[in-house]
Amino acid sequence: MFKHLIKLIWNRRKKNSLFLAEIVVSFMVIFILSSFLTFYYQNYRKALGFNYENIWVLRYSNPPELKETDSLVRYYDQVRNILKSTPQVKSYTFSGSNYPYSNSMSTSNLDYKDKSINNVNVYNIESDYPKVMETELVAGRWFTPEDSLNKRKPMLITKTLSQEMFGADNPIGKITGKAEREAEIIGVINDIKSDGDYLPGGNSMFRQLKPGDVKWAGQILMRVSPDADAAFESKLYNLLANTMKGSSIELSHLSDIRISRNRQTTTPMLIFTVIASFLVFNVSLGLFGVLWYNINQRKGEIGLRRAIGASAFNVNKQLITEALILTTFSLLIGVFFAIQFPLLKVFNLESSVYFIAIFISCIFIYLLVFLCALYPGKQAAAIMPAMALHEE
Amino acid sequence: MIELKNIEKVYRTDTVETLAINGISLHIAKGEFLSIMGPSGCGKSTLLNIMGLLDQPSSGTIVVDTQNTNAFSDKELAGFRNKKLGFIFQSYHLINDLQVLDNVELPLLYRNISSSERRELAAAALEKVGLSNRMSHFPTQLSGGQRQRVAIARAIVGRPEIILADEPTGNLDSAMGNEIMDILLRLNEVDGTTIVMVTHDEHMAKKTHRLVRLFDGSQVQ
Repeated sequence: MFKHLIKLIWNRRKKNSLFLAEIVVSFMVIFILSSFLTFYYQNYRKALGFNYENIWVLRYSNPPELKETDSLVRYYDQVRNILKSTPQVKSYTFSGSNYPYSNSMSTSNLDYKDKSINNVNVYNIESDYPKVMETELVAGRWFTPEDSLNKRKPMLITKTLSQEMFGADNPIGKITGKAEREAEIIGVINDIKSDGDYLPGGNSMFRQLKPGDVKWAGQILMRVSPDADAAFESKLYNLLANTMKGSSIELSHLSDIRISRNRQTTTPMLIFTVIASFLVFNVSLGLFGVLWYNINQRKGEIGLRRAIGASAFNVNKQLITEALILTTFSLLIGVFFAIQFPLLKVFNLESSVYFIAIFISCIFIYLLVFLCALYPGKQAAAIMPAMALHEE
Repeated sequence: MIELKNIEKVYRTDTVETLAINGISLHIAKGEFLSIMGPSGCGKSTLLNIMGLLDQPSSGTIVVDTQNTNAFSDKELAGFRNKKLGFIFQSYHLINDLQVLDNVELPLLYRNISSSERRELAAAALEKVGLSNRMSHFPTQLSGGQRQRVAIARAIVGRPEIILADEPTGNLDSAMGNEIMDILLRLNEVDGTTIVMVTHDEHMAKKTHRLVRLFDGSQVQ
């Protein structure tokens, strides 16, 4: 019977072309949507690598009247004293502008011997950064304040970057870069997802801010105690504002920044999902219509099959099987195009994302066609053979 | 072979009730060639469809080969039609997208028969109707008479005991009609197949063993 159906479908290929085209188009839409959803879901499943709760971000500008580094260091020492003397502030670190969820980027190359990895996030922070962010140390150690006095710059890197650069070798003690950019790797931390829950963190390295660097750092990240409320926030803000006269300051919560950053990813995806859903809904109506039309056009054949020995179940099964075989042909075409995405590295996603998306899309399309064929097939099978023969 | 007892068929719509068959009782013996005649709309095809279990009577009993078919499930009816009955229609009802051999093979698809055996049986049936040289043609490439011969081959491929023919010569000229009639007579005489044929053609009907005439859904002869 299967061979018979293949023959029938092949001989009707022109009649079935509309159906085939519809399936290919809907497969591609579902494939692109599910590629992104799979990508986001895979990232979502990965560990965050730090704790964003109870972190406040103080963005500041230098007072215009202070130009000298020493004056600025003294100026920010007053800020340090306030933060140290405030019990609700558990720890703090000055930071460059690219703190997690900040929408700001600072990247560089990581060079080791003849190997170079591009677009590595560079975080300039202080020794208390792990206390503030609660990052997870995998090997080696974090900076100490004394490290800033060493001639050779200390540096930490993330686990994935370590594996990419050094493979199974121990990265601790390895000297990267040349001349002024020379740095020694002193530790490895788990990857951090600094661009939101749904995006990969990317490779990262952490460099230590020297005391004088506070003049361009621009941010202070502080971990506050869980009972730090709005009243405390107001009090701290006033205290800092009074101390940092001439600076413009802004205090925000990292958890709020995270929500906003996640929305930047989810909102376009939500819009695309809604559009794709409408498209799929229309396609399913189209499929239903095409199948209904095809089956109505074939009433004589259905009547004949019933007359020569097909039961209603046989007819229903045949019509559904035919639709699923046609779907398989369409999916073969669709998969041919979809497979180009990992081969050509379109969107630069991991190959596994595309393969999962292809699998999901195939299942989805099979299910959609099955559901669309179910009712017309059942209706056709329910017609009395004499009536079906008469209707041709 | 076929026993119709007090068959009635009523078609109902919201406003109209039409009595298509009015209490017909008929016995058709094994090996008999029976023709049914009557004016258009008198219920000939309806009676044939009921006899072939393609339609259900509103009341009455159909016994085919000692089996009361009234209580058959859909699956049993399908199996019964497949094994016991062969159908020939005025408009051939061939599948134009399939080659002649594939068309003839169709009834065997619903049996547990291997592909090669199906091919052999279909080829033998086509041989019997003189179309072994047209196996790989499509129905649209054949004349009306050839198409009807393909339909006959399809009807006999499963070696049914009964063939039900609904105006098999209705769309053909007299020469072609005679050719088809000769095949049917041969099937009846040589193979002993029971044939019930609906026809408008008195000349064809006279060639059969018995003639039943219908008028307004009732048997008049």
